Amino acid sequence: MSRYPITWRLLDLVEAVAALLWPRALHRYTGWLLLLPAIALVGLLVAGLAYMGDSSLRLLDTETFEQSEDYTLANYRDLIEKPTYFTVLMRSTGAATLVTVLTLVLAFPYAYSMVRTRSAWRRKLLLVSLFLPFFIGQVVRAYGWLVVLGKTGIVNTLLAHLGLGPFKMIYTYPSLVFGLVQYMLPFAVLLIAPAITAIDEELEAASESLGATGWRTLRHVILPLAKPGLVASAVVVFTLTITDYAMPVVLGGGTNDFIANAVYDAFFRISDNGLGSALALTLVVFASTLVAVMLGLMGAGTLGMRPSGRGR
Amino acid sequence: MDKRKPFDRRDFLLGAAATAATLPFGGLAFAAVPAKPKELIVRVWGGEWKDAIDSGVSKSFTANTGIAIKYDETEDNELQPKLWAAVKQKRRPPVHVNWDTTTNATKSALRNMGEDLSDLTNLPGLLPVAKPLGFDKWPLVNVYSYVYVLAYSQEAFPKAAPDSWNVLLDPKYKGRIALYNDGIGFHPAAQVAGGGKVSDIPKNMKACWDFIAKLKSQKPLLGEDPDFTNWFQKGEIDLACTIVTNARGAKKNGVKVAWTVPKEGAKMDTDALWVPKGMPANELYWAKQYVNHALSKEAQQVWCDGLGLPGVNPGIKPPDDMIGDSAYPTKDEDFKRLLRVPNKVQVENEKEWFGRFKQIMQG
Amino acid sequence: MKLLSPRAVFAAIVGFNLVALALPTLVILGASFTEGNMIVFPPEGFSLRWYEKVLGSESLQEAFGRSLWVSLICTAAGVPAGALAALGMARFRLRFSGVLQIYLLLPFTIPLIASGIGLMLFFGEIGVLGELWPVGIACAVINLPFMIWAVLASVNGLDPDLENAAANCGAPPVQTFLTVTLPAVMPGVITGGLILFVLAFNEFLVSLLLTDAHTVTLPVSIYNSIRSIITPDLAAVSVVYIVVAGLAIVLLDRIVGLEVFLRSK
Repeated sequence: MSRYPITWRLLDLVEAVAALLWPRALHRYTGWLLLLPAIALVGLLVAGLAYMGDSSLRLLDTETFEQSEDYTLANYRDLIEKPTYFTVLMRSTGAATLVTVLTLVLAFPYAYSMVRTRSAWRRKLLLVSLFLPFFIGQVVRAYGWLVVLGKTGIVNTLLAHLGLGPFKMIYTYPSLVFGLVQYMLPFAVLLIAPAITAIDEELEAASESLGATGWRTLRHVILPLAKPGLVASAVVVFTLTITDYAMPVVLGGGTNDFIANAVYDAFFRISDNGLGSALALTLVVFASTLVAVMLGLMGAGTLGMRPSGRGR
Repeated sequence: MDKRKPFDRRDFLLGAAATAATLPFGGLAFAAVPAKPKELIVRVWGGEWKDAIDSGVSKSFTANTGIAIKYDETEDNELQPKLWAAVKQKRRPPVHVNWDTTTNATKSALRNMGEDLSDLTNLPGLLPVAKPLGFDKWPLVNVYSYVYVLAYSQEAFPKAAPDSWNVLLDPKYKGRIALYNDGIGFHPAAQVAGGGKVSDIPKNMKACWDFIAKLKSQKPLLGEDPDFTNWFQKGEIDLACTIVTNARGAKKNGVKVAWTVPKEGAKMDTDALWVPKGMPANELYWAKQYVNHALSKEAQQVWCDGLGLPGVNPGIKPPDDMIGDSAYPTKDEDFKRLLRVPNKVQVENEKEWFGRFKQIMQG
Repeated sequence: MKLLSPRAVFAAIVGFNLVALALPTLVILGASFTEGNMIVFPPEGFSLRWYEKVLGSESLQEAFGRSLWVSLICTAAGVPAGALAALGMARFRLRFSGVLQIYLLLPFTIPLIASGIGLMLFFGEIGVLGELWPVGIACAVINLPFMIWAVLASVNGLDPDLENAAANCGAPPVQTFLTVTLPAVMPGVITGGLILFVLAFNEFLVSLLLTDAHTVTLPVSIYNSIRSIITPDLAAVSVVYIVVAGLAIVLLDRIVGLEVFLRSK
């Protein structure tokens, strides 16, 4: 017994404690137990939502800057009657869709190359490059993009050498979409990569040795197996974009606001918490519904366990 | 006794009298002075704004009292919900002194959040513009004025400054003009340039909205203070409506930009200091002392010099580069050219104006 | 190699991505060496004065330290919570799993400003505002879906047969979890953890509402310190930041070996 390694004895202790705290009879609830910490953490936000629900039903009195005592639907009526909100909501949704598609198209090859490359340093270069965009704050980032995409910027200078341009690029809708794709790319790559690491490389080799072209192998073997990663990044990129606040400020030129900018304005510029809350709640319900539809379409119900017996 | 301070007989006497406090700047009362906090937190704007108040007000305050000044650089707009929530939840407010736009300070004052400053000893000598309109007491005190000028690139206007806001509608400058992204500072100018009268604000603002609608087809860029500087620097714009301090800051750093007050006039506004309710009595006392010191001639001279803005303490010398500048009003005729909207009118209508502006610009 | 083979197209896309990812940051790197008082690119002259200013600034150092602490708390809270939740969803047939997925995505579907206001009111109510740990918890909450989805993305590696086999051989549940389940999703856990750490280090919108003059973090401090001109010290901060992060990744690589988790089997 004394030769029994200490880690094993420790593990036995842990098992005993676990069995005591979580007896076998409860095992069918283990799934929920695992979810408990996450549910509690998100619960902090739900507390905030409850406050917003209350606040959204009160009207701002601009003579005292207090909210009304009585409940009213005035803020929601405002949302429906003022066309601006519909415009920015649709702009956010359209951009989120576009950005999701473009990001996945650009992220997949990157993730695939990062995982499959034979060179260790190339893998690290690709990995480290992903983290570069995070470290310049919003306002400094705005300047960086101005230098790259501005009228006298790097891209226009290069184009001028080819006898083209100058083009108005920055502070337009396309530049906003581009900036978002650039910002979302690392997330998408990092979420797709684990899915690709889980694909058996021999499967690809087998497909190609059976005469499939590269594209067919990609379409029929790799992409289907990478689906959990693609679904994950689609969900993440879509939701982050539709609720984004920073990029319209940095690259939208002030006339391409998203709905989150309207939320910011309500809370911070016109001090109207009720309107801000109503906007935020509308966005939550709207975005959640779209995600539910998306998950339904992509069959994320199958996200969990793959049918056993495949592969290895 | 505070060792950081040179010896002072009055200090010695009071210090000996158990409170270990000093009575600076003539003081409010000669009774026992409340205990000094180790530091006071003052909300400021970052960059050269912080440097200006630091060298003008805080350094001498600390030298006189031994109380250190710590800065909270949260934007005025973004501090407001934090402040309001703190007072509502009966927590200590996050700052002792709030350097704020008069508009935002007025909102807080309407909510009854500011301590009354009526007993500050430096108030009586100030210019009338220091007094907040629409209040019996002093829940805030205005500290200087500033003008929303028409800033222009000297390359686009090499010979003479543009003389009217209507230049913004010139097709030549399509896509090369900029405004604040909330339209702030532009309403009165647009009202006059569009053929209306400032006195009609807020009842009849058709002229203003029509002018802004026309401006929309000129594809303006909308941004914040640092954006204008970057845009001028990188040749993205030729014209912008911005506060004079930004244009001056850009010019000082080599950007080829100048400014003017067009013939229609330009909006004048003020910034304020105020002290939020909810802090212990001794901290309140010293926070008010800080505000009082900020209004003194000596402090205002250095502070406002750094900003290039006319303070509310009369007899301050303008910085050399601002002498005779129409955006640095000193004489009656200067003030007559400037457009003013009472802050109360502004706050009460802000939500609607903001909505109108966004509706035009986001369409 | 054919022009339109996947390999060629992939290489082109990877090249484009690398340029797009790096360009704005390289501009800032260049601008940080300017001699003037204002951020400009190309830089005017060459000087290290802004680095001197940044490295000598006590308040920036303190803010940096606080950001590190916030990131550690965020990672410590977010990684286990997110990883366990993902395994719970993937491994067990739960009722209402659709609703659960939408619920756990709330951090992404609520706009950050609203999350920030809500958290500020909540932490204010329970009297912990003004301390640093709630900022770390807040960062964990708003970024939790990254962790969950990173692990969900790697469930392909999870083999129920293997888990069952372990159990059938008499392996008790915790041991099965530690030796079979967890290693299978480790790539997801590592990438999720990396994202969580880096994002907490750069979060400013929610932190803005939860910090005060004594607890301000580095990104909040950078976001706030700009009014009319952008001074080059902010560019220098970004560069210092990147260097430190680069060192951290190298260190992590030495200790944990990132290699293992990103390479195909």
